[in-house]
Formats: sequence, structure tokens, C-alpha cells
Amino acid sequence: MSADERGGAPPVGGVGGPAAGSSIGAGPGAAAGAVAAGTAGAGAGPGAAAGEPLFVLPPELAIDTDVARQVITAFIRGQLRQAGFERAVLGLSGGIDSALVAFLVAEAIGPGRLLAVLMPYRTSSPASRADAEEVVRRLGCGSRLVDISPIVDGYFGRDGEPGAGGEEALDASPLRRGNLAARARMLVLYDQSVVFGGLVVGTGNKTEGLIGYTTIFGDAACAFNPIGDLYKSQVRQLAAAVGVPEAVIRKAPSADLWPGQTDEAEAGFTYHELDRLLYWMVDRRRSDDELVAKGFDRATIERVQRMVAGSEFKRQVPPIAKLGPRTAGIDYLSPRRRPGSTRP
Amino acid sequence: MQPLRIALAQLAPRLGVLDENLERHRALLAEARAAGAGLVVFPELGLTGYLLQDLAAEVAMRADDPRLAGLAAGTDGLSAVVSFVEESADHRLFIAAALLEDGRVRHVHRKLYLPTYGLFDERRFFAPGEALRAVPSRLGVGVGLAVCEDFWHLAVPALLALDGAQVLVNVSSSPGRDLAAVHEVGLGTAASWRTLLRAYAQLTTSVVVFCNRVGVDESISFWGGSEVIAPSGEAVLTAPLYEEGLFVGEVDLADVRRERISLPLLRDERPELLVRELDRIVAERAGLAPDATAEPGAWP
Repeated sequence: MSADERGGAPPVGGVGGPAAGSSIGAGPGAAAGAVAAGTAGAGAGPGAAAGEPLFVLPPELAIDTDVARQVITAFIRGQLRQAGFERAVLGLSGGIDSALVAFLVAEAIGPGRLLAVLMPYRTSSPASRADAEEVVRRLGCGSRLVDISPIVDGYFGRDGEPGAGGEEALDASPLRRGNLAARARMLVLYDQSVVFGGLVVGTGNKTEGLIGYTTIFGDAACAFNPIGDLYKSQVRQLAAAVGVPEAVIRKAPSADLWPGQTDEAEAGFTYHELDRLLYWMVDRRRSDDELVAKGFDRATIERVQRMVAGSEFKRQVPPIAKLGPRTAGIDYLSPRRRPGSTRP
Repeated sequence: MQPLRIALAQLAPRLGVLDENLERHRALLAEARAAGAGLVVFPELGLTGYLLQDLAAEVAMRADDPRLAGLAAGTDGLSAVVSFVEESADHRLFIAAALLEDGRVRHVHRKLYLPTYGLFDERRFFAPGEALRAVPSRLGVGVGLAVCEDFWHLAVPALLALDGAQVLVNVSSSPGRDLAAVHEVGLGTAASWRTLLRAYAQLTTSVVVFCNRVGVDESISFWGGSEVIAPSGEAVLTAPLYEEGLFVGEVDLADVRRERISLPLLRDERPELLVRELDRIVAERAGLAPDATAEPGAWP
């Protein structure tokens, strides 16, 4: 999703778009060996080079998108039903993650029960907003535009005029500004969730979750997350299957911090390379030496491991000092929804 | 021809809502009866939901609980397998499956193997069963009950068949995982279970009945895909993945005899050999006998 630096990936100040990868033809689910690549279903999107694959899909990450759709839409319905809600709210950035979740929620409960909130900052890319509006148009869901500039500028100040954060905040780093913007969006979403009567749906993917490229209590805040166990490559595969606009799938993932910024240039590797590495490292428990034997670069392995280890705290509930006989999350263990916990 | 119609109640229990789940069981039992079923099977913890954690004690029932007896009362002229949290006289909690027949609780099987790894945490909340028995049934053949993980241990189907079961029933709450295009039907869990069920039916030359739930508890989605497998290893009935419903298939129990005559694996089984070798292995693992296969330098 979203539009901000997350304070996880150390900036590597690269330039240019993501490497294209060694992708050749073939559809999702192609046989192992080569890197499979999705191809455009409908007409090519704006700026798409003819014949260029829609996305790069490492074969070991290929999923059965029909099963994924079935599981995820039932998951969304189940989460809402167990909580006693019928509606959902999400932040729509114009990127692929939130677009995919919007499509899945609309499929699960109908577009009339989904509110997409567009929350640009004054420097956000107008193209992102146009992409988000196109998603809203295609789905026919409700939408709301909330400009978060007054919230963010109200704290950091603007044009030399200090805000609530005082003089010092005028010179805040992009990291601080990005994190605060992500948390401002969280504030807006949770307020809109009350107005609309819907649960906030998370839109973070597994790749950014594992490397910690998220803002804790910001874009990571949600009632439930339908795509948090899908790597970015799998998000792309599923997005193509459910009909997310091709332009949204094709554009380089970006936190939209400054014009032309892309996640991949900033991180220094492509998502499909990172996804493969995380898959073998985390899901398939391969050791460093085994990863090197599989062709991964040792320095990259070590860097990614530091990112994963350094962001463990973002993936867990904060620890409570154990004092009493029974402590939430330690030895008071209840399902989060149980008899009596549904809203009356 | 001894046709037996088997109904698989592939339902999505409400977590911790016992009354509602009981009502759903009664309704599906009636529906199965109307469909001419002689055996109706409900999934693991179908009466309570799976991911109970500390709620387990709140929904526990003794085997003589009137609510269970009430459910059994609806089994005149048929057999049903239901699953719930059982509390023993000394207040241990078990994941249990009960065979209900002709109005009575005929047998209770307590889950033997409690997975406590990966996404599972069962041993934290439950005690493991201590006994495995095949039981006679009104179906005219022995029935063996097992719960989910019990079937991930080879000895369980083998012992049930040796003990006289001709119909092996496994009730499950199997969480779907390992979503990948390389797997049959796109799901690693389903592919593994399909392999196991066919192998067990063939190796025990028995009818294998598998009822797996659907629905969502917290993060976990249960994948359904309930099946009835003939003694030849062929699927008689395969319910759809993730779809709630009552699915009915028919087997010919005479196929068990035919299969066992032509493929007499059980006749040739060597329980005394198993006992001898197991005794030796147990002694070696306890350090009471030298272990010939131990790696040098490693303690047993």
C-alpha cells in the first residue's frame, strides 16, 4: 500500500526502475525451471512496452489463484461475521496491494459494503490517486477522499511555520514524515470505520511484513489482513486473476515519498528476487550455506536476515510484564472472537 | 450387495457456541436420514469449533452429558460419529469422537496424538487418549475411530484394521496451508491427506471415511475435501474444497471381503513380529539395550 517510507529498508539511493528479471513468456503456474511470467490478459496498460510480461513470477511461488480466492473471500466473510460486522473499510493508495484487497473484499461481501478511503498527502503522486479512482470506478464501491496534509503539516509545520511538533519538527527526516503520514492514515481509517460501521482491512503483503518495510501502528494497523501471507510476486499473480487494472499491476511499487521513487531501487533488489530468497529462508528453512548453494548472494542473504531480525517487534503484540496469575497473551489465551464478544 | 450410504457433514462450527452447533448437528442428522444414510460423520470438534484455547474447559462435556444423549437419541436405525471436548471423571480434557448408534453412545475415542508444533498447540490444552479400539457396530462390521493427527501415525490405521475394523473413520479439523500451484488441487495439505487416505484404504483393505470441516477460526481456514475411499484405494466420494454441505456417497461393504480375499494383506500381517521388534526398539530408546543404528558420539 501506501505512500511512505517505512523505516525498515535502509535507503540505498539507487536510481531507475526495477530490473526486469530474466523473464520469458509463459503463464502463471508454468513448469519449474525458468522464471514464469504473467502476461497481460486485456489490452496493454498505459506505458506498457509491447510484449513485456505483466509481472515476474518465480515458479516455486506460483499459487492456484482459484483456491486463494476461495480461501481469502471466506476468510474475509468469516472475520466480519465473527466480529458482528457486515462492512469493511480500507485505505486505497493506487498501488497493487490495496487494489487487490479492495477487489477481494468486494468479491467477498459486495462492493456496496466496502468503503475505500483515498488519503493523499500534498506531495503524493497525482497518478496514484488516478489509479485509486480507477479501482473505485471498476468496483463500484463507495469511496471518500481525505487529504491528510493538514494533519501531517499540523505537526511538522509548513513553509517555516512550526506546527504542533515545534521548531525542531520543521527539519524532520523523510523517515519521520513518512511514519507520521502512515499513522495519520491509520487515524483517519479508524475514524471512518466508526462512521461507516466497518472493520479496517489490512493491505500489507508478506514481503514487506517480513523485512519490516511497514510502519508499526500505521499502515500495519488493521482488524485483519487477507494478503499478509502472500509475497509480492503472489500478490501480482492474484491481482491479475481477480482483474486489478493492468496499469496498477505493471507500475513499479513505490512508497511515493518523492517523484520517481520505487521500493526496488531503494532496497537494491527486485521483489521477485527478494520473494524467492525469503521463501527459501523462512518458509523452507534453508541455512545460509544452502541458500548460497541455491545461487543467492551471501551479502544479500545477510542483509535480508538483518532486516527480518530487526523487525521482529513489528510482527508481534507488545509484551506485558508478567505479574498476576493470568495475563493476556501469556496464560490467558482466548480466541479474539468468542461467545459474548460480538457487537450487540 | 450390502450398500451403505455414508453422509459426510462438512460443516463450519461456530467457535465455542455449543448450543448452535448441537442444533446444526440435529438438523444435518435429520437431513442425512432423509437421504437414506446409514452412517453420518461430523468433523473433529464439530460441536465446539477447533481453536478453543482456554474456552476448551467451558465447552467440555462428560460422555454421559444429557446434551450428547439428546443427540444420540436421534440415531435410531443409524450410526453417527460426532466430536466434542470430553471431560473425564478426573477432569482431564480430551478431543473426543463418539460413535452414536440406535439412540446410545456406543463408543468414545479420545484423540491419541495431539500435534503441538507449527500452527498447532493442542497438547497445551488437552490430554492424549490412552486406548485404541475397534468396536462392533450396527453396520454389521467393526468400526475404528480416529481423530485427525491420529492418521499421521502409521500404527493407528494398522492397529484398527488388525483389531477388526472394516470401516475406518477419521474426523478432522485440518487447517489448509502450503498454497502452491505445484500441489494437486493447489493445496499441500489436501494433496498429503489424499495420498494418506488412499494408501490406508489400500493397505488395510478397508473403507476409509474422512470428514474434514470447513470455515474459519481466527487465521486458519479449514479446507473440507471430505472423502470416502473404497478398499481398493479408489475414491467413492470426494467433497469439494471449502464448501459447506452434506455430501452423500455409497459403498458396498461386500467389497471389503472381496478385496481381502484377493489381496490378503491383513491375513499376512505379523503382529507378533511387530511386538517383538517394538519391544527391542523401546528398550534401545530407553538406553536399556545397545542401539546398532545410533550415530557415533550421539547419546540415545
